This record gives sequence, C-alpha cells and structure tokens, in this order.
Amino acid sequence: MEKQYHDDFTVQEMIVVAGARTLPDNKVIFAGTGLPMVAITLAQLKYGPGIVPVFEAGAVGPSLSCGLPLSVGDSRTTYKANYLLGLNSAFELTQRGFADFGFIGGAEIDPYGNLNSTMMGDFNDSYQKPKTRLPGSGGASDMACSCEQTIIIMVHEKRRFNEKLSYVTSPGYLDGSPNARWNAGLAGQGPYRVITTKAILGFDDETRRMKLIATLPGETVNSVQDATGFELIIPDDVYPFEPPTVEEIHLIREVIDPRGYFVKKKIKQ
Amino acid sequence: MYWTGLSADEARKFTAGKDKSKKDKRTTLKEAVKKYVKDGDNLGIAGFVNGRQPISIVHEIIRQGRKNLTLSFQSSGLSIEYLAGAMVLDEKHLSISRMEFAYWAHEAFGISPLFRHLAENGRIELEDWSNYNMSARFKAGSMGLPFIPCRSPMGSDMIKRNRAKVIECPFTHRPIMLLPASHPNVAVIHVQEADIYGNCRIQGPLFTCPEIAMASAYTIITCERLIDHDEMVRFPNRINIPFFAVDAVAEVPFGSYPGNCHGVHYFDEKHIPEFRAACEKFRKGDAAALKEYYDTYIFSVENTAGFIDRIPFSQIQHTQIIESGIGLAADSNTSRMKGDEGFGKAVSR
Repeated sequence: MEKQYHDDFTVQEMIVVAGARTLPDNKVIFAGTGLPMVAITLAQLKYGPGIVPVFEAGAVGPSLSCGLPLSVGDSRTTYKANYLLGLNSAFELTQRGFADFGFIGGAEIDPYGNLNSTMMGDFNDSYQKPKTRLPGSGGASDMACSCEQTIIIMVHEKRRFNEKLSYVTSPGYLDGSPNARWNAGLAGQGPYRVITTKAILGFDDETRRMKLIATLPGETVNSVQDATGFELIIPDDVYPFEPPTVEEIHLIREVIDPRGYFVKKKIKQ
Repeated sequence: MYWTGLSADEARKFTAGKDKSKKDKRTTLKEAVKKYVKDGDNLGIAGFVNGRQPISIVHEIIRQGRKNLTLSFQSSGLSIEYLAGAMVLDEKHLSISRMEFAYWAHEAFGISPLFRHLAENGRIELEDWSNYNMSARFKAGSMGLPFIPCRSPMGSDMIKRNRAKVIECPFTHRPIMLLPASHPNVAVIHVQEADIYGNCRIQGPLFTCPEIAMASAYTIITCERLIDHDEMVRFPNRINIPFFAVDAVAEVPFGSYPGNCHGVHYFDEKHIPEFRAACEKFRKGDAAALKEYYDTYIFSVENTAGFIDRIPFSQIQHTQIIESGIGLAADSNTSRMKGDEGFGKAVSR
C-alpha cells in the first residue's frame, strides 16, 4: 500500500514522529518524561517491537500498551516488565553499560549538546534566587552521563539554543575539547542526535559542535539556522525529513495521547 | 562538611541504641506525626513524583503545623506542593527552610507553581542533586556508609553548589564522584500492604522507599491495608521494608490520593489540575483559591477519610477503573483486563 502523508500536523506531533523513527530497534532505551515517553511509546507500537524501554522509577522492558504513562513512575510503565525494582537499580544499569541510549529533553541546549533543566539567570550568583526556576535534573543528568549515547528532544527556538547555557544540568560534550567526557570521569559517549521541532541534528566528530542532518517539513537550512542562537555546521548532504504519515498522526492523536497530555499542549512562548 | 538530619556516625549510634523488638506499632496518624515529626527536622519524602506519595501524612503534618523543615527526596510533586502551599498561606504555621532534591514538578500535569514562587523569591535554600544522587545518598545511609561513589553528573554545574566531591579514584586513577549519605530524621512512606509490626510489601516500582526507610532515624508508614503477619511472612522475599526499620503504622486507604497508587488507583486527573490551578493563581498574586482549597480539603477535615469524602465517589471510582497495575496478592501477576485505556490492538505493524 502506498504511504499516505498527513498534511496537517503540529510541531509537537512531528517531533514525536521524528523521535520514534530515530530510536533503533532491539536497543535498551532509558526514556525520560514528557515527549520522549510519547515517542518511545509510538516507536514500540509501530517500528521497534524489540525496543527495551527503561524508566528511572524502576521498570525495565515493559510493554507500553496500557495507555500513555503520565509519569515515568506510574503503573502504565510496569505492564509486563521484565525487571522491576527502583531508582537505584535503574541507574546502576546505566553505569554498568546496560543502557544503549538515554532519551531526554531539556529547556536550553548549547552547541556541544549540554542541557539545562535547572534555572535561567545568573549562575552561580543567583542560584538561590533565579530569574526562572525550572523543575531540576530529575534523572536526565544521570542518563546524559552514563547511558552509552543520548538522544535529545528540544523545542527549537532561538532563546533555547545558546552558545552558553545559564546552567549545565546534563553534560553533553562539555567544552568540546578532545576526550572532554572521558577526562571528566564520564562513562557514556555523549549525545548522538538532537531532534527538534524544526530539524534533526547531530555532532561533528572532530569539533563536537552541533551539525544539521535533516530539515523537518516546512523548514529550510536558513530557517533552522535563523532559529538557532549559535552557528550550526551545515554539511552538503542535509536532506528533507519524511513527513508524518496518516497512520502515525492517527496513532498519536487517537490512540497514544488522545487527551493531549504531552502532545497537544500549547508550547510555551 | 555539614550534615542535615543525622550524620553517618550519629545515625549508627541512634539505631544501635533503639528498641528493635517486634511489637505492635499500630497508631493513628495524628499520634505518629505528633510523636515523631519535630520542628527543624529533615524529612525523607518517599514515593516518586506523584506515585505513592505520602499525602495523608503530609496533610496531617500541615494540620498540626511544623517549622523550618528540610525536605529530602529524589523527585516529588504533590507532597512538596502541599507543604509549600501551607507555607505560603501561613509561614508561622508551617515552613520549609531547605530542600535536597532532584526534581519538583508534576510531569504531565505541569511544572510546580509554588516551586517557582519560593525559589524565584529566594524563600528556601536549595541543594540540587540528580535522581540517582538522591537515591544513592539514601542507599549509602541504608548501608551505614558515610558516602557512596557515583559516576553522574560529573561535568555538571550541580556539583559546584552541592556537597559532592570529585576525587581521583584510588584504583582506576580516573575522576569519581562521592556523595554524602542522607539520614533524614523521619521517613514518611505510603505502601500498599503492611503488618502490625511494620513489615511492608510494596507493589509496582519500589522507587527509593526501602532505602529511605533504612536510612532514616524514624519511619512512619501508612498503608492501603493491614494484612495478617502470617500472610506477610509467607513471602519473605517480598518484604521490602523490615519491621525494625519502622516506628509507626497507620492503615489509611487512599493515603496517596490524588496521586497514583500501583494496583489500587491511578491519578485523579481532575483533582490534581484543580489543586495545581489554585497554586498557579497564588503565584500570579491571587491567594483566594489556594486558601479555599486548604480550608475545604485539609483544615476543615479530621483525616484522610474526611478529605476523600469531599471528592465525588464517581471520580474516585474512575481512578480505580483505569488503574492498570497488577493486583495486590503477593503471588499475583495478573493485570486488570484492559478497557478503553489500553491500545495494544489498535496498531498494524
């Protein structure tokens, strides 16, 4: 049957589709809360039946078929789980090398894939009274450090893509210097992809700076660069990402998140 | 170096000198809070975000009022939001002075309005950690060790302001991070099943509940139901918290409502947003809705039964119908039959 593309979708729906298609099958994927949780649910349903989700509250290898979890610790993360203890056991898996990918989001990102989910304002002076306080690391910084690689989901806005972060919560390639992560004592290799509302991005092997890989539907190389607060590396082989199919959008809207907990929410401007 | 709650050596000495006999620890929540929770205490808040949060214990602490609390937890939503709401309404009655934590928000239900309010106005002292850090700190406490090594988050700004130390590993000669143990004065924990001695059987994710109980000086347990001791010890492997780590047991059905209690009920998807909306109004300058919420659901009721009485039964029943967690029998691994909430069949691959 010929693939039918959907012509009316939101940026959040697109990001979930892009995330789901990026997750490799048959890998252990440690997923954070929010859009990563929706994308891994779509991925396990549609593309990767061999995906082994891990949630930090304890569930390992569940079947995500009981409805969209509203929390990485809720009952829906545990259905048919292969292992179920608690936070210590889940994070110990990442240190030991059992988690192939960490799948996380953040509020602010820099060219080296370092993420901020702690505070906006002047660190360190205003740490105890920040301009805007964000929820905090949760498990994201642990995943960013100790999963073998990380896939990051971001809303693509200029103010969120900055050369320098207000605060480094979750380490990416740190200052981009050779072996920066190893020298810092970290175990995992670092960021693999950044999936945004405008593009799929990766990292240059030498400089560790962010590079454009694909533009999402409706975007161009220029529109992506214009929405980014630092200069992207633009290789010659940037390609347009395949739009969401009718089935993918149907699954997100009608099956996975019909009440719009994570996907239909208005993105805060 | 400073310790909050007990230092590693104080905690060891305290527990060594404690009565650990197997005795009936049933009490009312009112008595338990009165006896064990003091002004200035470091409270270990169990559960995870809005799963199995110790809501009834927190409501009782709010009714009684306590000052200068330190709150230690990995990720929390409702428990901390409730304590913060009481603080912003009347700081002379209840106050939080410090938090050692990784995440305070409500995941799908949104960010925490009162965290923004308290932090952005500099009203509480913060010590940020990661989820693994806080869990490992409780684990170190439960192991009777002053610190535990950990690989994350080295390279993060977190370690510039918390008590973690990065040292050269004496064996690999690479950097390694050491976390100080956490020994709260009191652990507050809700579980599905307990016996009269305090043995606890948890269903679903354990979160960091066993470690918090073992690390703390005192532990208060609320349970959905008390079960026979003989039934509890039929499955010794399934006892997650042993009796001698527990000081008080109160049977409080719906003790973590409106959050999720695995195998019992899912989130109340109406009540959580209602409470959060009142908190958000407060942040924007209007305290009336928050005051009304506390008067209606906490201060004008005696206990959790009174709180639950104010929520429509059909709303509570819905949270039970949509709960997908496994049943409560220790040898049960049957999931509820899936209705509209499940979507296993809806997909062609």
